[in-house]
Order: sequence, then structure tokens, then C-alpha cells
Amino acid sequence: MKKVIEVCTRIEGHAKVNIFLENQNDEISYVDFEISAYRGFENILLKKKLLDIPKIASRICGLCHVSQSIASCKAIENLYELEPSEQSVLLRRLLMIGELIKSHSMHFFFQSFPDLINIFNINNNRELLLPYKLIKDYPQITSNFFDLIKIGNEIDKIFGGRAIHSITLIPGGLVYTPSKKNTILSRRYFQKALTNLEFLIEKFIEFFSNQVPPTEYMLPNPIYLALHDQKTYDRYTGLLGIKKKNNKTVNFFGKNYSNYFDKDINLRGINFNLDENVLVGPLARNKIVENYGLDETSSYLSYFDNNWKNNILFGSFIRLIEMFAEVKKGLEILDDPLLNKKEVLPSLNSIQNSDGIGYVEAPRGILLHHYHLNRENSVDQVKLFIATEINIPLINEMITKYAQKLYEKEDINSVKKKIQMIIRSFDPCVSCATH
Amino acid sequence: MKPKFLITSLTGCSGCIATIMSLDVSPQLLERSKLSYFPFMSDIKTIENIDIALIEGCVSEESQIEHLKTVRKNAKKVYALGSCAAFGGILNLSTKKDAEPISNYIEIDGIIPGCPIPANLLGNCLIRLIENKEIILSEKNLCDSCPLRGNIEHDFDYKINKLYPNPDEIVSPEENSECFLKRGILCLGPVIRDGCEHICIKKGIPCEGCMGPVSKDFTANIVNFLSLVKLSKDLKGYDGIFYRFSKPKFNW
Ligand code: SF4
Ligand code: SF4
Repeated sequence: MKKVIEVCTRIEGHAKVNIFLENQNDEISYVDFEISAYRGFENILLKKKLLDIPKIASRICGLCHVSQSIASCKAIENLYELEPSEQSVLLRRLLMIGELIKSHSMHFFFQSFPDLINIFNINNNRELLLPYKLIKDYPQITSNFFDLIKIGNEIDKIFGGRAIHSITLIPGGLVYTPSKKNTILSRRYFQKALTNLEFLIEKFIEFFSNQVPPTEYMLPNPIYLALHDQKTYDRYTGLLGIKKKNNKTVNFFGKNYSNYFDKDINLRGINFNLDENVLVGPLARNKIVENYGLDETSSYLSYFDNNWKNNILFGSFIRLIEMFAEVKKGLEILDDPLLNKKEVLPSLNSIQNSDGIGYVEAPRGILLHHYHLNRENSVDQVKLFIATEINIPLINEMITKYAQKLYEKEDINSVKKKIQMIIRSFDPCVSCATH
Repeated sequence: MKPKFLITSLTGCSGCIATIMSLDVSPQLLERSKLSYFPFMSDIKTIENIDIALIEGCVSEESQIEHLKTVRKNAKKVYALGSCAAFGGILNLSTKKDAEPISNYIEIDGIIPGCPIPANLLGNCLIRLIENKEIILSEKNLCDSCPLRGNIEHDFDYKINKLYPNPDEIVSPEENSECFLKRGILCLGPVIRDGCEHICIKKGIPCEGCMGPVSKDFTANIVNFLSLVKLSKDLKGYDGIFYRFSKPKFNW
């Protein structure tokens, strides 16, 4: 069997695709998306002090660092049987909103938008291989996205003490009481974000709602997994839901996750006892959450039919919708009087449980940390469940099918190029996946 | 002529590259330079005639060495972007993986440290590079201009028994301007390079050393520091306090 290797571009981090050919190179046997350079954070975190762990875990990823630290803090709070104050939760939510705006905007602008333009031939066959060529052709869209990236960054800087690897996120709560000035500033940022998002959502509808999305990008009926709060969109708290082909959702507490999925830390990948591959992330949230709690989002979504809604390319639109819904939520939080109350954080004294489990929905999907303590209360096992790792089998299923079909009429170079568009539409986070 | 940039990453978290994308000076940078190789946002795969190469991440895989050498061969100047590239970074905590600074494999023209690099520092460095000037790093330690400095008596002799304050003990410098060391909490300020604007300390959190050593002989600094304070047994046995972001010695 011959192996053709192609290094992926325009994704976060280093990854490649391996295309395996058979029958005198006439047919593609399978394709796999390979990430290497595993760093072994599950090992690094062993024996670390509990107050030290979230700071180290943050370094797993420079895009989803807030989610990593919060999942970590929650797992530690679970060990102490401690709930952070309402104020701390609001502040954590603001950090998550900042992270989502930055992460989704970067994905949309650098990765998916240029691909969408090419797939639907919007730019009259002029290839836009370099996203910064977009700046010339779509200056307004570009500046809207740059503003959003900046806004997400500033929000995290205000509430996190720095934009990446927050200083304020600690087990027990969040070190910070916002000043009036910063609340006003944040409100201005969110208002600006809302205007930009309205513009971008309308542009997306104008460009794509009348198009029929290509069938190669259709999702092959995967199983969806996401956090939700009684079917309402929530990335911080709630139950985990698994939605199967029959459209039934099974809900469970994160602490019981091992009844549904688990991992062997010596092997890569996450095991689900399920027949189909699993999807996590914005589209999975969309499938499980029935509403974003807003009239505007329902009317925006109504422009698209089921061809779109079951297509991985629709993830790009959902990212805009999620940003919109979260910015609105952010504005509500800023008006909450609890936000500016001066509070003393709890003391972490007596450990109650030997297992600590914490989870949130990161921008790319569910993120769960599980720490186990030995008798001396030292961490002796760590399991990290990371969104991109969950998506990889589905990515492989889709790129293999697409490559096989494409290779019947096009050459290997075209295959190499086009399967990357599927990969990018999943928004893989290689840093997280190589934890 | 606009300088041609290359930005690439080895083993890291992409946080330093993400910092570039949200700098205030980002639009100015895009206008005044040409990005010739930057896989994060472009499909170009050839590396040639680079003026300035910025490398994020440490070397943890053999396969990265060749890439590193190609970059060096084709670039006039090469800089380590962030503490991973400069000192090995957080992966130094691993007992199973190598985390080598890029300077162990190629000659470099400088480092821009931090985990992640403080935005102001990075913005200033990039503007200087575009203007064909050398980058400037502070040669002082973090204590030198620390907001808690006022109270340090220089015959330390403090007993240190905590890595971090318990959450209920966290206070801002305005509420309590006592040096962490005096409170029995370890702060790496004495051995760490200044340049982050004391962001952790201003939030009431001691320095964990993300800017890396202030001098090339980190170990000598640490030994010196340890002769002035008394670490509790618990902390003495804890892995990864000083060599959390860096190794003992460097080539740069
Ligand atoms: S130095 Fe820190 S922020 Fe930069 S790549 Fe390394 S881990 Fe990420
Ligand atoms: S105070 Fe220390 S840990 Fe914090 S940013 Fe500065 S150098 Fe890094």
C-alpha cells in the first residue's frame, strides 16, 4: 500500500493527512488525519499541588485556555465539595464569552470563510488561497472580524488579568472585582460586537442561504454530545446530552461520564460504546439545545433548510449565532448588580472526595477533566477528555468517503487540497488534541 | 522594501501566535511587512528569502529539527517567540518528553520571552524588527520595579512554606503591600526577568516565572536566592518550581 502525506495548512497547530492507496494506486483505501507530538499533560499534572494545576492546564492551549482552566478549577472544587460564588460564576462566564468570540472569529475568518468563498464560487473563480487577500476583496468583512478578535481579547484581558492564560482563574472562584470603568468599557465592547455580528450574520445569509451546500460535506448521521441546561444553550452548567439517530437524547451528570465514555490514558482516543461516530462542538450544541433563548436567532436560522442544517459547513453559521447569543448574555451579566460586589474567596481546607470531575463546553465542544487522589491526597491519575479528540473518528470517516469518491474523477493533488476543507470545517484544535 | 516574515510553530500551545493576531499594532504590522510563510493563516508552503523568522514552541520531536534548520538557512534573522521556544517552556515539567529551546539546534538572533509574551513587549519588539532595529529586553529582575518592593529589607531570611496563597488570603497590592516572601509565599520575582508589568503580582498572585531567567546562568541565580530564603520541606520536594518554564542553562 502506498502512503501519500500532506501537511495541513490553515489549521491551529501541526497536523497532516495520510492517504493510503491500493490496487496499483488506483483506489484510495482510507485517509487519516494525524496529529503527532503528544505532550503528555495527563502525566505532567500528576502529583502537582491542587492550586497549581489550573495554571499548568491552561498551557494546554492558547485558544481554549479559559475552558481548560475552568474545567480544571471545577474538578478541584469538586474534590473540596465547594461551589464558587455566583459572582465568580458570572465572571467565569464573561471570560468564556471572550474566549469564544476570539476563537470563533479566528476560525471563521482565517479558516472557513476563504474555503466557503471557494466552494460556492462567490468570488468568480478567483482563488483566495491567502486569507489576507480577503482584506482587499472584502474589506468590511475583514475589519469586522479583526474588531471581534480584538474584542474577545480585551474582554479576557479585563477579567482574566491577561488575554491568554488568565491569572484570575483559581480554584474556589475568580480573583477580581470589576471596576465601574471596566464594566462600562466591556459594555462598549459587547455593543460593538453585536453590531458587527448583525452585519456578518446578514452577510452570511446574503451569500449562502440561496446556495445548495455540496453533499460531500453532509454529516453521516453522527451521534451528538453537548452540555445543555434543560435544553437551553449553556456552556458553563447543566447536564450532558447524547443525541442518537432516533433523535432521542439521553441526559446524564458529568460525574457519571464513565457510563458513556472513557479512555485508556496509555492509548490515544476516547471510547464510546456506540455504533456511530460522535460529533461535539457548535453543531452538536445546536442539535441538542433547542433554543438560544432569543427571537433573533430563531429568525436568522429560519433562512436555512435541512440540507444546510445537516451539513458540516453550517458550523460556520452556528459560530456566528453562538457569538451573537453569548454577546447578548454578556451584556445581561454586565448589568447584574452581583458583579461589582466585593467578596472574599473561600478557603480551600478539607478535601472531601477522592475523585474530582469538572467540565465545560469549550468553543470546540465538551471538555472534561478528571483527577483522582491517592490516600495522601496527591493526584495519582488524570484523564482529560478533549473535544477535537472526540471528533477525529468522524473527521476520518468523512474525509475517507470524500477522498474515495473524488479520486474517481480527480487527481491526488486535488484530493489533498479538498479534504482539508472538510478538516478545517471541524475547526480542529491541534494544541488541545495533543495535550 | 517590506521585510518578509515567517511565523511557524513547533511544540507549544499557539498562545504566542494568537497574541500576535490580537495586538493593537497588528494592522500596522500587516501593512508594513509581508507574511511569506505562516501556515496558521496561509497555504504557502515554500520557505525562501525570509528576513525575519519567528518560531514558537519548543523542540520535542526529531522531525522538527530539519524544519528548524531550513528556516535558519533561509532567514536573515531568527527569534524565539515565547518561553517554549526560548527556554523549553511548560513542557520542562514533563519527565517523559524532551522540551528543548530552539537555540540548542540553531543559532538565534534573540528571544522574546513570556508565557504568553506580554502584548506590549511583543508589539514593541515587532515594530523594532520591522524597522530593522535590535529588540530590547530588560536586564533587571522583576523585584526591581515591583509594586511591593517598598517593604523588602534586603537581608531576606524568610521562611517560605507556600507556593500560592489560599484563595481567601489573596489581596491586591492596594490592600496589602507586603512582599510575598515576607508573607511566607514563594514569588520568583528575584530570579525572573522584568518585562511583564507585574500583572500577576498586581492581582495578588505571586510570580511563577513565565518570563524566564534574567541571566543565562539561571542555576547560579537560584542557588543565590535559595541561600537567602528557607524553603519548607514540602516545597523543597515539589517538582517544577524553578524549572517550570526554563532549563538551568542556555546558549543564547
Ligand atoms: S510560551 Fe506559553 S503561550 Fe507561548 S506557546 Fe508556549 S505555552 Fe503557549
Ligand atoms: S508576574 Fe511572573 S508569572 Fe506573572 S506574567 Fe510576570 S513573569 Fe509571568
